[in-house]
Amino acid sequence: MGATKTVSKPEVSLDLPWNVVVHDDPVNLMGYVTWVFMKVFSYPKSKAEVLMMEVHQAGKSIVWTGQQELAELYTHQLQAFQLRTTMEKSSS
Amino acid sequence: MKAAPTLDGRLRIDAESEADVFALKSVVVDAGDSPENLAEDVGGLMPLELSEDWTEIILPELHGHFREQVTAVARSVKDVTPGDTVFIGKEDAELWYGALNQARLSLESRYKFENRPFDDMDPEQRNARIRSHFYQVVQGLILDFLMDA
Repeated sequence: MGATKTVSKPEVSLDLPWNVVVHDDPVNLMGYVTWVFMKVFSYPKSKAEVLMMEVHQAGKSIVWTGQQELAELYTHQLQAFQLRTTMEKSSS
Repeated sequence: MKAAPTLDGRLRIDAESEADVFALKSVVVDAGDSPENLAEDVGGLMPLELSEDWTEIILPELHGHFREQVTAVARSVKDVTPGDTVFIGKEDAELWYGALNQARLSLESRYKFENRPFDDMDPEQRNARIRSHFYQVVQGLILDFLMDA
């Protein structure tokens, strides 16, 4: 048997992904929120409607998760469509 | 007031009376100071590490964008008189939708319509509620006929 070679690697801390979170409001029409999700993320209508209903019923929904720069871009776009939007670091 | 889609893919709004003209021009008045407040409302809750960038760069940009929507609608309705027709094309759909949304947000924030029976409102609140409903109906038409995903 050959000797076992141990290789040590430096600890790497991975950046956590960011969540883009859309919050409910009393004015935006449900059809419009669905339309915005389709337009910004190119989601199919069925997925956009599920997310829209989550915003409406739970008060907020994580609509996208990924790297920070893209999360900032999507957040800015959603805000420009008048959706109350925040970002948060994902817990996983 | 009549509002309907046209065969060439636009939305037409016929202002038949002084009251109709007033309703159309009220969009701009009701949106009022909304652009600044709205930018803060939709974008003012960012996490600490991003809030400085957002306050210095993004919020002023959003403010300008929202202001542009109201200015565009103001231009479209400023010379409207009874008997005139306002046409909204696909290229202006988002501007109109956004301005109408601002007017509704502003009215909602001022009068808190949500869950309030119409009969319990005073005349000023009722007028505001009727305008808000009119804006919502036009938004529905714009969304259904002019905005493609």
